[in-house]
Amino acid sequence: MVTSGPQNKGNTGSDSNAPAAVLAAGIRHFTFHDGHVPALRDVAVSFPAGSFTAILGASGSGKSTLGRLLAGWLPPGGHGALSGFLELSGTRLEFDGGPGDPRINPAEWGRQVGFVPQDPTTVLSTVRATVAEELAFGLENAGMERGAMVAAVERTAGLLGLRSKLGQDPARLSGGQLRRLAIGCAIIAGPPVLVMDEPFASLDAAGTAELAALVRDLLDGGTAVVVLSQTVDPLLTEAGTWVVLSDGTVTASGPPAGLESSSGALPAAIRRPGPTQAAARALPQAAGIEPGPPALQLRNVSFGYPEAPARGKRKRKSAQAGQPNHPALVLRDVDLTVHQGEIVAVTGPNGAGKSTLLRHFNGLLRPSSGSVAVGGVDIAGAPVGRTAASVGLLFQQPRDQLFERTVLREVSFGLDHLVGPAAAKDRAAEALRKVGLAAAAEDHPAELPASAQRLLALATVLARRPAVLALDEPTVALDGDGLAVLDAAVRWAAAEGGAVVLVTHDLGYARSAAHRILALDGGRLVPA
Amino acid sequence: MTRRTRLNPLTWLAAAGSTAAVTTAAASWQLSVAVIAACLGLSLAGGTARRVLPAAAAVLVPFGLSLLVLHGLFFPEGRTVLAEWGPARVTAEGLEFAGQRILLLAAVVMALLLFSFSISVPDLVAALSARGVQGRFAFVLASTLTLLPAIAARAQRIRHAQESRGLVVTRSLVSRVGAFRLQAVPLVLSLIEDAGTRAAAVEARGLSSPGPRTSYREVPDSSLQRTARAVLVLLAVAAVVLRLVQAGAGG
Repeated sequence: MVTSGPQNKGNTGSDSNAPAAVLAAGIRHFTFHDGHVPALRDVAVSFPAGSFTAILGASGSGKSTLGRLLAGWLPPGGHGALSGFLELSGTRLEFDGGPGDPRINPAEWGRQVGFVPQDPTTVLSTVRATVAEELAFGLENAGMERGAMVAAVERTAGLLGLRSKLGQDPARLSGGQLRRLAIGCAIIAGPPVLVMDEPFASLDAAGTAELAALVRDLLDGGTAVVVLSQTVDPLLTEAGTWVVLSDGTVTASGPPAGLESSSGALPAAIRRPGPTQAAARALPQAAGIEPGPPALQLRNVSFGYPEAPARGKRKRKSAQAGQPNHPALVLRDVDLTVHQGEIVAVTGPNGAGKSTLLRHFNGLLRPSSGSVAVGGVDIAGAPVGRTAASVGLLFQQPRDQLFERTVLREVSFGLDHLVGPAAAKDRAAEALRKVGLAAAAEDHPAELPASAQRLLALATVLARRPAVLALDEPTVALDGDGLAVLDAAVRWAAAEGGAVVLVTHDLGYARSAAHRILALDGGRLVPA
Repeated sequence: MTRRTRLNPLTWLAAAGSTAAVTTAAASWQLSVAVIAACLGLSLAGGTARRVLPAAAAVLVPFGLSLLVLHGLFFPEGRTVLAEWGPARVTAEGLEFAGQRILLLAAVVMALLLFSFSISVPDLVAALSARGVQGRFAFVLASTLTLLPAIAARAQRIRHAQESRGLVVTRSLVSRVGAFRLQAVPLVLSLIEDAGTRAAAVEARGLSSPGPRTSYREVPDSSLQRTARAVLVLLAVAAVVLRLVQAGAGG
């Protein structure tokens, strides 16, 4: 059904008498300049006002490329050649990949189409000092009068639960808070179309509920909402239309009910949080506690970040004026003992300090008070690089973890120091095989799809076979296949005697994988 | 948000620029010394001394040494010879001239550094935008001024990733240099990649759109500061004109 054309106005676009689209695209093929095969081919989509569309596809299916094309972030001609058309508010632009193609004005396009990219940090202008100013950046450029701007910032922050963060430096937000900010930046000017790429990734339950409410509000107000996702989040069942994308082309589309019932319409790699995963059930049991010191032990660990690096004394003074002299504690008297073979999940809302906790395991952060011991040895004073032999840390953002030119180099980094050059080769190959990236050994990590980037980051940790595996939001950005790989790797690591600590907002996954679930609440670690 | 009364960045800019112009035009060592002392005092009082002084030293030491060598050893007008090696003569006049030049340079450098470390970059960008400076220009300026902290933050992230995979960085210089060598290439590549994505984001948010723009950030200003800025600019212009007239009269 997903076609475009001047048709009469209606609600969802799932009937044959489809309403006029605010945004539509008919892509014969789109090929990146450095690509050999089209990233997208034969994709026709249209989004009428007030319609809700979910574009579902596994990692690497072309979702993000389609999203960026629709949002004007990937202007045809810039990075790739488009053959087909883009249509916005009744104006159709035809492209044939040649020099005579029309040019998209990103600012004009952005006024009509708000976009939340998969990596929310890329939205930040980086030149704004506070969350409020970052939200207002687009409004400033449009010349909005200040009073209206302040009201819009307040309203948007309220919708996204960011009101208490308005005065904070955006660079110091947690992963989930950044996602909220990115959504805020996209909707603040009230564009008629909102395109969001994996918006639920890294959002906690409250954030997901807020986002769902927000989407419903926007739909009521006539905004066309497009969500690109590799997970069938509950909200997406409310969509009028699902478009299934696979290998860069549309394989099925229509109302969710029809697609859900027809077998094989959704590729297996699309994640579906089923009732078995989400329901509370008995946690798996650890194989039995090994004798000897615990693999990881935190005793009375407290930690607070120092004040933000001040730009001159004025800032320090103003910060001190408003707050007590000591920094707010993110962790308070945290005690945690993890034994070999045990899988522990730590949950908590966005900004609870989950990532901060993990960074204490290898010494990237040092406790203000208390101690951290790995294999019975206190790591205070030991360089991070030395503790890293026993503790493998998977970062929340793969782009924080990946820095090499090829996948193989990435996974081999530091391995020869650990096990010698000969064994390093085997270890690297084995780790890549385990995550299903053996064929991509010579690819550039930045060019992999998000799910593969995450798996590569996981491979770099697995290759070191650490005694303690610390995973920060490991399920984010993984499609169904990726999740299966992760799950197998976690169980394998535990079976081999490793201790696994994973922090996640994904309670369903925590329940299915962990022996024990803890919650980080107000800086304290309590049984969930 | 707590907000103390603070100077408008343009007032800072006018003060620094005018100080530099007047000091240069006056070319009096007494004035230079007074300016240096004032800048020192202000940076100590403002808490920026720890950043101003190393930066000033980094600029002034090499420049000062070269001035000393140039004028101290080769000053044609020098009469009072203190020492002599072939064509090179150390003269009292040469040393005095070099000293004056160094003081003058120090005064100008201190004034400008004090300015750049004291202002708030977001304030400056907001003040410039409010005066109709192109959004793109203001953005480039702000990016330039926030570039070093941004690069440092990115380098730190890469170092953390490498340390987490067994790179041991100790306090020794050799270890740090070795670690930096490993970080340099990924740092540059990631900055380039980042710039590309960010460009798409800020363009879509209307950075280059023509027409007037507004500012969310309120930059403090007052009629007193506006008058002070006018006076400072006039002072600088007067000093330069006076200097030119004097130079013209003196031949």
